[in-house]
Amino acid sequence: MSNQENEKQLQALLKQTLAPVKNTELQRDLWPQMLRRLDAQPLRVPWFDWALAALTAAALLFFPGTIPALFYHL
Amino acid sequence: MNQHTYLRAYMAGIVFPTVFLLVIATAFAMMRYVFNIPVPIERVIVFPMAVVPNLWGLWNMLFVALRGHLHLSIGLHGALLPILLAPRGIVVASLLNFPIPNFAAHAFPIAAPVGLIVYYLAWKYLVSFFNRVLELA
Repeated sequence: MSNQENEKQLQALLKQTLAPVKNTELQRDLWPQMLRRLDAQPLRVPWFDWALAALTAAALLFFPGTIPALFYHL
Repeated sequence: MNQHTYLRAYMAGIVFPTVFLLVIATAFAMMRYVFNIPVPIERVIVFPMAVVPNLWGLWNMLFVALRGHLHLSIGLHGALLPILLAPRGIVVASLLNFPIPNFAAHAFPIAAPVGLIVYYLAWKYLVSFFNRVLELA
């Protein structure tokens, strides 16, 4: 069997095995979702939450006995 | 993605306590087996391992179910959870004859407000983020 015949046979086998891909189009338009993501406001943490976080850190630092109790409930 | 809303709410709710469980389990194991603290933590480990993550998931489902009716922020909703959890934790510990160490008992007046704040911040920023990721916001 010549090389050409071999290649043709291989091509035919590959075509037979690998079915053509269907539904390559996207099901929905992703651009509006992308625009929403771009327009989304970056996360802003208010000063009150920073104060609460600092208070918590200080409490855990000065009263380390609270850490196991906190871990138990988290 | 508008199907299985409550399942997604449950999953968004359990992410943080489940991941944080690794930290807790490591800390507890270190305390018990490395520093030889004579407190049988293994008796009550089931509470943070099973009860807490499930309650977070259910609490987030409740938030999603109620958000149209009650205009409560997710942070405040989360801060209410320790009020439900803490008594259950104490009941579980006492049912399993877990000797609460003195330092933990004395830390309660500090631990209670700290717990509320930690829950408020965790729900406001972490659970809220997971809700947005799962398109529940």
